Amino acid sequence: MSQYTLSLDYKLAPGWLQSYTDGLAEGQAISWRCTDCERISFPPVRTCTCGQTAGAWVALTGHARVQHYTFGHDGTFALVRFDGADTSAVVKLLSLEKVLALSTSVVRPDELTGRLQRTASSFAGLVLKVNRLGKTA
Amino acid sequence: MSPGYQVIVSGAALTPFNRRKDSSSFRDWTFAAFSEALLKSDIDRNEIDALFVASESDFFTLQLNPASVIASDLGIEGVSTVRVEGGGASGQLAVHAATRAIQSGHVKHAAVVGVDPSASMLDSETIKKLYGFSFDAWVDGMTGVSSTALYALSFQSFMQRIAIDENRHLAQVTIQNRANALNNPNAHLGRGHSVDEIVESPFIASPYRRLHCSPLSDGAAVTILSRSDSLPASRKKAPIIVGIGGASDAVHLGARKDPGHFQAKQSAMLRACAEAKITPDCIGIAEVYDAYAGAQLQAIDALGLSDDICKDLDSNRFAPTGQCPINLSGGLMGQGAPTGAIGVGQTASIALMLEGNYVPALQPQTIPRYAIADTHGGVCTTSAVTILEKSVYV
Repeated sequence: MSQYTLSLDYKLAPGWLQSYTDGLAEGQAISWRCTDCERISFPPVRTCTCGQTAGAWVALTGHARVQHYTFGHDGTFALVRFDGADTSAVVKLLSLEKVLALSTSVVRPDELTGRLQRTASSFAGLVLKVNRLGKTA
Repeated sequence: MSPGYQVIVSGAALTPFNRRKDSSSFRDWTFAAFSEALLKSDIDRNEIDALFVASESDFFTLQLNPASVIASDLGIEGVSTVRVEGGGASGQLAVHAATRAIQSGHVKHAAVVGVDPSASMLDSETIKKLYGFSFDAWVDGMTGVSSTALYALSFQSFMQRIAIDENRHLAQVTIQNRANALNNPNAHLGRGHSVDEIVESPFIASPYRRLHCSPLSDGAAVTILSRSDSLPASRKKAPIIVGIGGASDAVHLGARKDPGHFQAKQSAMLRACAEAKITPDCIGIAEVYDAYAGAQLQAIDALGLSDDICKDLDSNRFAPTGQCPINLSGGLMGQGAPTGAIGVGQTASIALMLEGNYVPALQPQTIPRYAIADTHGGVCTTSAVTILEKSVYV
């Protein structure tokens, strides 16, 4: 076997997703609302399920409810629904370990809520800090 | 009946799927599988007029345009070459592309190569990072989410609809696939697991534990597909491709109506069945895409292979002696998962089974009429299903 190292340094252009990615850098959830059926997608879906491509960027509150979460060697992630959105989003979770450590029983997903976090760069992805309903992590 | 000309799987071969430590390369594995498949097909190398190569990523092989290199290695330069890529579905999509080319009448004999060095060329953390870009790299990929975590979220959604006993049924699938692999000399992970061993293995992404996951493997598989009017007389027992179907789903898990349902797989299966003029209950053998134990249950549901998954698991319907054996090869979990080779290997395996020439310890004694190979990419974002029918001479 021979060793060969390849290092790649990409420059990513957000294109149509610019409003969404700029929002993430500011900790804002910028969604896409379809002109025809008013379905709100977050993360944004360019062509609506109704077939319409026209729409508008709409800011959501950034608050979300957890539908499913997973933890383990690969980290903590969840499928969540942001308030006001008609679609769900995959997010990286912050503070889940702390919530689970404080709990003496199994924590159901619907007990968890969270808020979108400001990310280090526009391409860092969705990150949610979670709390257990009625408690502070 | 399929449109146009009938397509026969005249030759099929797989190399071992494992982690190579012998300094051989993906080009060597391809050469070995092609040589064996060509010999079985009884077709001369010069009769091959098209090459379809499935390889998931240039990052794995460090080779752009791999079909050009492979055509030269195989001594078939001059044929038309195509590289096919659709994530985990790449191999089955290559089978489909070759099938349509033959049905059109423009190709008589096509070599379909599936290959990837998913284990030995890059470390597992790098492969895992690359797999994270198999979804929407610009959205999901940037969260750092792994393939396992996305599958885990999808499976949790599935469990809201189907009452799975998480520990027991996931263990059943794991134990069965790895037990099948014990009888497959080409398999990566033939193991005899206990339920305790499985539920005590660490979480990779809950509810998936280490032993619920398929391994990263190296390997190649090749099928030679032939137009029925050009098939050598010696190959009249070779099975027929009677139906293929492909479909896709929303790339964002959260944009799907039911994130736990493999809608693309269901659509692909129905399209393949319509082409074959059969219903899912006609299927007697299935090789399905079990990247994770729960994904096999989601596949059984979407493919329509069971009306009651839990009951059928408990009654061993999918075991080697059951009514519809699933993943006799060991599947991805047992046989292994060199990505580009998976779909081609599944089709090669069921072709060998329908001809009665599979691994002796796993060859069904009563050969059913129909078998399927089911492959997908993403969390079933891209789906491809192939239905084979045994020859009337078997």
